[in-house]
Amino acid sequence: MRLKRTPLIAAIVALVAVGGALNRTAYPIWVSNYSPRVDADISGLQADQLLVALAGFREMVAGILWVRADTFFDQGNYDAILPIIRVVTMLDPKQIDVYATGMWHIAYNFTDEQNRSDRRYIPSALALGAEGAKSNDYTYELFFETGWLWYHKIDDDYDNSVEWWQLASKRKDMQVARKNILAMAFLRAGKLDDAIDHYESLLSDAQKLVKEHPEEFANRQNVDTLEGNLDNLLVRMAQRGNFALKGGYYDQWKYDTKPPYDVGFSAQVTVEDSKVLRVEGTWGVQPVGTRIRLVLRDRDYEFGRPAGMIWGRSNKVDLDPEKNVTFMQDGLFVKNQAFFRRVDMSRDPTMYPFVSDNYVVEFYYNPRSGPPHIQDRFGYSGEGMTDKNYLNTEIRDGQRVVFATLELSRDQLLRQGEWSTRVPIVRTKGYVATGSRDTNEVINVPGLRNEEESPNE
Amino acid sequence: MNAVMSIAKTTIGEAIRRRVLLVILLIGVLFLVIAPGLSVLSARQNYTVLTSFTLGIIQLTSAVIAIVLTVYLLPNEVERRTIYTILSKPVYRWHFLLGKYLGAVGALAMMMLLMSTVLVLVFKIMQKDASMDDVMRLATAPIFFFVQMSLLAAVAMFFSTFVSPIVNIFLSGGVYLVGTLFSPVFQDLSNNKSLSPAVKGAATLVHTVVPNFAQYNIQGGIINRGPELRSVELYYVTIVGYALIYITVFLIAGMMIFDRKEV
Repeated sequence: MRLKRTPLIAAIVALVAVGGALNRTAYPIWVSNYSPRVDADISGLQADQLLVALAGFREMVAGILWVRADTFFDQGNYDAILPIIRVVTMLDPKQIDVYATGMWHIAYNFTDEQNRSDRRYIPSALALGAEGAKSNDYTYELFFETGWLWYHKIDDDYDNSVEWWQLASKRKDMQVARKNILAMAFLRAGKLDDAIDHYESLLSDAQKLVKEHPEEFANRQNVDTLEGNLDNLLVRMAQRGNFALKGGYYDQWKYDTKPPYDVGFSAQVTVEDSKVLRVEGTWGVQPVGTRIRLVLRDRDYEFGRPAGMIWGRSNKVDLDPEKNVTFMQDGLFVKNQAFFRRVDMSRDPTMYPFVSDNYVVEFYYNPRSGPPHIQDRFGYSGEGMTDKNYLNTEIRDGQRVVFATLELSRDQLLRQGEWSTRVPIVRTKGYVATGSRDTNEVINVPGLRNEEESPNE
Repeated sequence: MNAVMSIAKTTIGEAIRRRVLLVILLIGVLFLVIAPGLSVLSARQNYTVLTSFTLGIIQLTSAVIAIVLTVYLLPNEVERRTIYTILSKPVYRWHFLLGKYLGAVGALAMMMLLMSTVLVLVFKIMQKDASMDDVMRLATAPIFFFVQMSLLAAVAMFFSTFVSPIVNIFLSGGVYLVGTLFSPVFQDLSNNKSLSPAVKGAATLVHTVVPNFAQYNIQGGIINRGPELRSVELYYVTIVGYALIYITVFLIAGMMIFDRKEV
């Protein structure tokens, strides 16, 4: 007996229609629960990788590749890790560790012979963090990591840290202890009232938790920490005159930030050899703890800005840095009211290509990045700091910073042409020679006792 | 129905005696056993690598077994002329095809059960802190891989009614890849408001007709434990129903062709 075709074909059509309807019901749930990524940006994968990625084996391949990356870490072969990180995040964008490790690796680990990291990678690291946060928006982790990159590595433009950590704080799994750091970002962003509000809100939550679970030591400890932090903040704000500034009576009373202290900044840059700089200068602040940012970059760099670059300019993870751009950033450590640093860029031609004709050397100091004992005198926004030559109130909105620039040409930096026999030296206005202070390894710390009253005298 | 079950039982017996399938199975199990050696990273990466690798091995091995097992079922019977003995008895051709399919799925189930048992054992040994919930969560993936492979076996069975085994391997493998690879793409195209109605209609048609294998890839929710899964029960029921419907479609289509085929 042969099968009757017509009813079977009708059954097939009906079943396919029902199947199609079921498929349309299931697909949104699959996308929400199991689909590897929010926006299918897998254009960077090669054909074979794309095949395994889309054939359902992406997590497996990503896992194998990440194990391979670990081997490269052990071998110190950092260049080989970059493409693996990118492929793994494309194959399996739910691997939070790969994003977090990748961001850190890109931003911190590509260094020159003197351990200065290659800042040209930072926009890519930020883009990787943003992509990871978007693909894993259920957890605080990549929001926190991206905020940390702004806070710690870029160490400027703290509004971005605030923004990322506010997003992190909205996630249910944000660790209690980590929530405190948002207040620090508020302070560095100059949002002092927001910092107080945040501490008070956290303290209120912590006290509720202690009432609910008084037996938990961690809860009580958190209350103590928050009370201490809030107390410190209020005392500092009172002593530094922040309440007075807000209330409009700052000029009526004495505060630790009055009168503004002249830091006496001056600097000189000598091109000792091709791509080798000797940077020295003065900073009339006795306590140890000052780091002045030094930047050397192409003068006409498209994304350049005073003492930095437009860090968050890209939402595309491009692991090739701008090969024709020179951007060096370092910290000048101050001791005995002077700084000295020899910057050797001659051994890292890929990091410092020196393609442009003109360069700027920038010196930048922002009290918001300083330690509390310096901020006690200078204030959060530099209200207790001045410099007769280089105080700047324009390059950073609402802040008083020290900023100076010097210019050097390519010929000067490479010691070629007319500069092959002459030593290029550029210096700021009012430069004071540091003399032998640069070689003095002993830090002279003045005692609290008057020297004349010392029994040894 | 007795005839169908008898054919299915015989098929299972034949399948588990086939060396090529046993070798593939052995390789899969071997990879599962050595998988912990790859998990050398931190605690969380250890879990990620272990689960992603082992689940991937099970899926890959099962897909190969499903295709290799099914593509030879009908051609072998014809080639060895044993089909004449069976069809000379009071057995309809659709009985024969259905029995062969059920036998293939039964053999596949046994092999996947073995791999899943090894998977759970390896997981329990390597993840000593894992709770029963973790194990159950992990075991969910092979269950849906089995549903996926049953659908793949139906596709291969359908093609085996009119093409040679070698061509069938490529056709079934191709449908599997397309069903995994392009289903989400066509689904996105059919929902894209900026496209013309003709393109959207074509995308909807393709997405509706070609079986969607991608929706059984649920390992992402298991490997990455963080995201909160929603409407899980509804989803599971829907995709199992979808698989049953498509298996029925392919078997009916196969029966129609096989019914009129000269053997």
